[in-house]
Amino acid sequence: MAVTQAVDRIKAKIGAAGPPVTAQVEAGHLRRFCEAIGDPNPRWLEEAPPTFLVALAPPSYHVPEAEEYGTGWLNGGNRFEYLEPVRVGDRITATSKVADVYEKSGGSGSLLFIVFETEYVNQHGRIVARLRGTAIRR
Amino acid sequence: MTPKVGDEIPELVKHPTTRQLVQYAGAQGDFYEIHYDQDYARSVALPGVILHGLLKAAFLGQLVTDWLGDRGTLQSFEVSYRGIDQPGRPYVCRGRVTKADGDRVDLEVWGEDTEGKKTTVGSASVKMK
Repeated sequence: MAVTQAVDRIKAKIGAAGPPVTAQVEAGHLRRFCEAIGDPNPRWLEEAPPTFLVALAPPSYHVPEAEEYGTGWLNGGNRFEYLEPVRVGDRITATSKVADVYEKSGGSGSLLFIVFETEYVNQHGRIVARLRGTAIRR
Repeated sequence: MTPKVGDEIPELVKHPTTRQLVQYAGAQGDFYEIHYDQDYARSVALPGVILHGLLKAAFLGQLVTDWLGDRGTLQSFEVSYRGIDQPGRPYVCRGRVTKADGDRVDLEVWGEDTEGKKTTVGSASVKMK
């Protein structure tokens, strides 16, 4: 019963945006990110590789009600759309919203899917990328 | 050379370690314990610490950008995580051209575990110069 209520409360968040997060692309952060993923391409000294934006600003926001459901999180998938390159020195503002919430029953019980959509806008007010991510509670 | 449907792109083999998972946790700012705390990971019914999905996405992103070089730009990139992967085992990233229409090229990409199981599948669209 409590879990059903939690799902309803999360569903009520569909369309609601979390607080915008602004961060500057720093050369040192970019370098540490590329070391961590093991990509030595010198192009990434100046430009962000395909998944860097998730490190710059979180691709979701905290939904405390979700923790009443299941025991842990899994990442279901991510979809990136690129409109403009992101470079060192850019100031990026990310805004995430809950786009969808649904349940599915799997082999080991039911799962809760929360789909987040994040838009990344640069210092010139132009959208540089969009990200759609599916977080799963199991 | 113009990409053609069916072309396989050069594979990329990664050798993730627990050290790399900690490095990635710090670089991304994702401190979920299932990626570095063995006891915690087992307490939520995992076999041990597992790779971040987004780290596998980064591997597949590198697969695509290594192949593409400066011949074009990445327009979109999508991954679905179908299975978990543990550090200490090689992770093989592969891809193939599924569509080549003018300057638009689509690829399917995937990551395989040591048993050849596709634990991450996805696609990428690029615009060639």
